[in-house]
Amino acid sequence: MRRSALDVEKRTGTPSAERRRLIADILEPPAAHPAHLDMTDSKYHTPEHTRLEGRTFRPSTPAELAEAVELAFDYRGDITVALTSGERIVGYLFNREATGPRPTLQLYPESGGMRQIAYAEVASIAFSGEDTASGKSWEAWVTKKESERRAEAQRAEADARARGHL
Amino acid sequence: MYTVAKYVLTQQLRGVRRYPLVLMLEPLFRCNLACAGCGKIQYPDHILDKHLTPEQCWAAADECGAPIVSIPGGEPLIHPRMPEIVHGLVERKKYVYVCTNAILLERKLDEYTPSKYLTFSIHMDGLRDEHDLAVCRDGVYEVAVKAIREALRRGHRVTTNTTLFDDANPERVRRFFDEMMALGVEGMMISPGYSYQKAPDQKNFLKRNRTRELFAKILGNRKRGWRFNQSPLFLEFLMGRRDYQCTPWGNPTYNVFGWQKPCYLLQDGYATTFKELMDGTEWDRYGTGRNEKCADCMVHCGYEASAVADTFGSWSGFGRTVKVTLMPNAGESVKRETVGAGRGEADRYSVR
Repeated sequence: MRRSALDVEKRTGTPSAERRRLIADILEPPAAHPAHLDMTDSKYHTPEHTRLEGRTFRPSTPAELAEAVELAFDYRGDITVALTSGERIVGYLFNREATGPRPTLQLYPESGGMRQIAYAEVASIAFSGEDTASGKSWEAWVTKKESERRAEAQRAEADARARGHL
Repeated sequence: MYTVAKYVLTQQLRGVRRYPLVLMLEPLFRCNLACAGCGKIQYPDHILDKHLTPEQCWAAADECGAPIVSIPGGEPLIHPRMPEIVHGLVERKKYVYVCTNAILLERKLDEYTPSKYLTFSIHMDGLRDEHDLAVCRDGVYEVAVKAIREALRRGHRVTTNTTLFDDANPERVRRFFDEMMALGVEGMMISPGYSYQKAPDQKNFLKRNRTRELFAKILGNRKRGWRFNQSPLFLEFLMGRRDYQCTPWGNPTYNVFGWQKPCYLLQDGYATTFKELMDGTEWDRYGTGRNEKCADCMVHCGYEASAVADTFGSWSGFGRTVKVTLMPNAGESVKRETVGAGRGEADRYSVR
């Protein structure tokens, strides 16, 4: 049932009503509510009604876990994976193999290296890092005040300069 | 052109159904610009700090076998070992296109030796106002123009690459073409806006019909002096004179995550090896009419391959290419034809 909801999303590009309910059911509320969550920008897989930053998935079934991993795969920020062993890994989930006898996810930990983790080892997934794609749309850019655009451009320029990239 | 033709015909004679022509090599995602329409740079810092090593880049080129390597990013000139990467690819006789915003180009030119195998493809999204707005920073257009002049003076091959969104003004785009040709670039490459799955600019992507209308206005009554560094049939496709199905394997993408499935634009997963990418991707799930994510895409990385397959797939295709090359303005009344999924890739990248 839930896989079919995901399939609908993959075909249409938007989450089905069923999947939105599912996400609402298995999500814990954000621990904090950062101000930038109020922005209206949306991404392909994470429209505002399913904004993920600051939330935690504690899946109770394999289907829920698969959903959580898919959302994490589409997320442009770090996540925190809590394993059944008690270990916690913070990093960027860049790939997953959801099919086969032993589904696995691949993650670049913030601390370096690469980890491959079996789905069966995952206890929870928290969207703990900043969603780096949020609030950066072209529309947002052009509708900002000139002073805001200038300040943002100056910040980006200063960052590049500090890294020696200008 | 000869190299591409030889490669494509060899693949076809061998009966290879799917083969790459352009390797899209992304050695890093870090950029020194933060363009609002770009979906390639939204990652945590520790991902942006990752670089492919020269050895990884060369191994990817060897494994893939495509005669052309395009190096986008991120900004490739930020990579501390980019001259070494390029040198190794040139040694392998790969035609290398370094796709850069040119901010660092003038300063780094000493690190590169002019070669027929090396081209700097400069990101230029229009005249000064349009370009500086697109890259979200004032003054970048002038920096790029200055770098182009210097690269040309030193004997480098230089082209431009331009992404057009639905707010493009056809008349100003035509003036932009005049300016680029006056600068002396070897050719220009144009493409509709990229339909990145994760780009923050989803609402601004061109719809298919709007794309055709826009490019028909821009490329109609084409000036003799304009030189495009891409397949003539792909330009016909952009103008709505031909239909093609996508060839997603034409421009395979390799980056710090691995071989990207299925194409340069979509991220449906990663393969460890090129063979795994080619054998393990469900290619029939992608392309116009097959996948919602592909519905409005007319981007070069999928469709120039199809245009090249059309050129080299039959004598009539070759004849069409010759005709539109010699008489680009003669096809106004050509009825649109649909050609099946391409089996090769494009000559978007000129090869001499």
